[in-house]
Amino acid sequence: MIRFLDIANHTLFWYYLASNFSYLMMLMIALKTSAAHQRSLESHRLNWINDSPMAPPIAIIAPAHNEEGSIRVAVRNLLELDYPELEIIVVNDGSEDRTLEEMREEFRLRLVRAVYIPQVECAPVRGLYRSDVDARLLVVDKEPGGSKADAVNAGLNAANSPYACVVDADSVLERDALLRIMVPILEDPKRVVAVGGIIRVLNGSEIQGGTLRRVRLPRKSIEVIQVIEYLRAFLIGREAWAQGNMLTIISGAFGLFRTDLVRAVGGYRSHTIGEDFDLVARLHRHLLEKGADYQIRFVPDPMCWTEVPSDLKSLGRQRARWQKGLLDVLWPNRDMLFRPRYGRIGCFALPYLWVFELFAPVLELGGIVTIILAASLGVLSREFFLQFLIFGYAFATVISIGSVLQEEITYKRYNDWQDVVRLVSYCFFEHFPYRQMHMVWRLQGLWQYLRGDHVWKPLKRKGLQSAQTP
Amino acid sequence: MESIFERFWRLGPAAFVLKAIVAAIVADALLLALILLRRTYRRRYFARRDARVFELRQKWDALVSGKVPYESWRKKPFDRRIVETMALDAFEASGSEESARLLRFLRQSGLIEKRIFEARRQTGWRRMRSLVALGRTRAPEGIPALAEALRDRDLEVRLAALRGLGRMACPEAGEEILAWVGEKGLCVPALPLQSTLIQCCAERPQLLLPFVQHAEGPLREVLGRVLGEVATPSLGLDLLQFVGDDLDELRAAAARALSHTKSGLAFDLLNELARDPIWFVRLRAIVSLGKLSDPRAIPSLLRGLMDSNRLVRLRAAEALVELNTPMVPIFEQVVETGDRYGLHAYLTALENADLRAKLEQELQGSSGIKEEVRDCLQKVLRTGTLLAEEPVVSESFPDKAALLP
Repeated sequence: MIRFLDIANHTLFWYYLASNFSYLMMLMIALKTSAAHQRSLESHRLNWINDSPMAPPIAIIAPAHNEEGSIRVAVRNLLELDYPELEIIVVNDGSEDRTLEEMREEFRLRLVRAVYIPQVECAPVRGLYRSDVDARLLVVDKEPGGSKADAVNAGLNAANSPYACVVDADSVLERDALLRIMVPILEDPKRVVAVGGIIRVLNGSEIQGGTLRRVRLPRKSIEVIQVIEYLRAFLIGREAWAQGNMLTIISGAFGLFRTDLVRAVGGYRSHTIGEDFDLVARLHRHLLEKGADYQIRFVPDPMCWTEVPSDLKSLGRQRARWQKGLLDVLWPNRDMLFRPRYGRIGCFALPYLWVFELFAPVLELGGIVTIILAASLGVLSREFFLQFLIFGYAFATVISIGSVLQEEITYKRYNDWQDVVRLVSYCFFEHFPYRQMHMVWRLQGLWQYLRGDHVWKPLKRKGLQSAQTP
Repeated sequence: MESIFERFWRLGPAAFVLKAIVAAIVADALLLALILLRRTYRRRYFARRDARVFELRQKWDALVSGKVPYESWRKKPFDRRIVETMALDAFEASGSEESARLLRFLRQSGLIEKRIFEARRQTGWRRMRSLVALGRTRAPEGIPALAEALRDRDLEVRLAALRGLGRMACPEAGEEILAWVGEKGLCVPALPLQSTLIQCCAERPQLLLPFVQHAEGPLREVLGRVLGEVATPSLGLDLLQFVGDDLDELRAAAARALSHTKSGLAFDLLNELARDPIWFVRLRAIVSLGKLSDPRAIPSLLRGLMDSNRLVRLRAAEALVELNTPMVPIFEQVVETGDRYGLHAYLTALENADLRAKLEQELQGSSGIKEEVRDCLQKVLRTGTLLAEEPVVSESFPDKAALLP
């Protein structure tokens, strides 16, 4: 028993070290690439893209389900985005409220006979509406499909543009977000097949008429911790993975894809839990199997602001769902692991996700159990344990502060001193008890999935209409 | 000598962790200090800058006219940067008289010479900043320095030079870029090169012709696309040589460019390109035929309406709807094609352009067609389906195609 505990503790020690080391590597890569990106932005002029006759058309697909409170503002925001060739497709996914009526009144929709070819699977479409106010707006009214993926698929079928940008109807895109997200594609249109943008936390910021007026840090602790998490995940994680062309996830709230490729892989899978992750995984598989020379890129400056859960219950459900989604994608793609055919994705990205994301809560739990056992059997070195805890705490704080620094030296959206002080303080306080709760939620997610609960449960959101306007 | 791994191993977990703790705490402290110092520095810098901008703005006219001696601000880098930024910002928003005054000021104050010097002598981001600033001055004497930077080993410097030349937006800058790509090939991403060439060659597109003829591979595609954008009627017959080109992109560019020519040959050539095996060549040809807005294009547009590619069908339909001719005969021909996809593309374009009511009116008032034909057309327009129930299957989506509502 003692021998087993000794091995287990050593294993956990090295696992923890490897995990932190990989994060440190990512932080360094991200700091370097962000600095380079900032410098290159100095000589970029986004209005060139806006004025260019060669900017390829983009279809923005915004699924909407029971969004009567915010749909007018959300669609108006989409219509105001800076981009020369836009097609805006709002998919009313069987809303039971007045979503369609609201749009009909605001944008003077009329039923049209547009060409609709169901190349990817989705629930039946009831009708297509074109706006008399702005001809770029097309509304697809469909039967409820039960998932966002189903609604996006309907949008894909109606899209006529070579690129499709999937956004959440209740998110706020910055006006030049499309110009920025298109930069990698315009630089290398043959190789770049998809680009992910950054998602930032909307809670606490000032919104007026659906437009972001002032970025502020949210008031609730749980929301501030999520700000740090998002900074860490996007500014460090995705930035670094994208450098090695190993990005495995593009957020469903804001991502751009080549329409033909998304259709070629069958669109979004309707009954999957993490549809965004699933799509990128299938794109990788499809392109690697074809031996294509391609890139999936991440751009840290086109920003999409989204509302995050503001209570523990919703947050717990969201995190459990993310963990379920992770397993739901990793398991069917297990055949890609360590096969040279799947290159870096099969040899690095997916194994990393298995070991450091999927198994992380299990191993953390295992660690806690073995430490308790070792302590009760008197074989735990208290001094070493304490040191290990302090190290873990200090190191995790380095990564969090690093992500705040990354934000500071690049995009600096939190201008207020108070906000920065609070942000940095939370880097120290997020470890107890939030991290442990996070571990429990993730374990719950795994447990639910293994028990056969594969249902996608939507989260409660306040919507743009009710976003804070102090 | 023992390896680093052996040393690391001999440290033992406890000692290692202890050192790691110290390192992590030091890293935390350093990161926090960096954030704090950076914030403080920036706050002070911007406050100082803001105050100085205000002072300089008060005497702006005197500064530009030279009444305030140039030496009083030129020797202070802080002031010089502010004055230059203010001048360049004003330059971009000013009319011809004001920009001439500002250019004179930039020349007389030696700012342009300074930027030329920096663009030649500096390295890294300083050089890039100088190149972009030099381009913003639009002073022709800056072109040689920008052209030199195009031959730099660093891609970012080359891009900055390219953007600088793009800001010049003059044929002389275009000549330099073309000479450079002719010599080095495509050594920058296509988009900035295209954008720059479009700006520089818009005035004199003839510059491109010899380079398009002699270029190879991807560069030829890029130049072809630029030619397609900037072509004017003056190029006329020069474009004929590209209609039968092996490169798809170039045929597409020729198709796009032909929409700018008034030559009677354009129809024949576009008709030919509208049958091209490559869909985007057909698409360009159809769009160009639409732009010519001439009833002679109707047969080709009707053929485009039955194309296997959905984009071609949609563009052909839009072109047919936008033709300034009576709508009934066209609608009759659309129905006669018997192609359901073509019909729906036409109806979509009609509804998007909000011309459905107009067609209905024209149908009711038309006297040149038999009553039964009119009834039939009205029924088709009302129901959106062809009377002949034989389904016409699209080539591209034989199994899945469906039409709504």
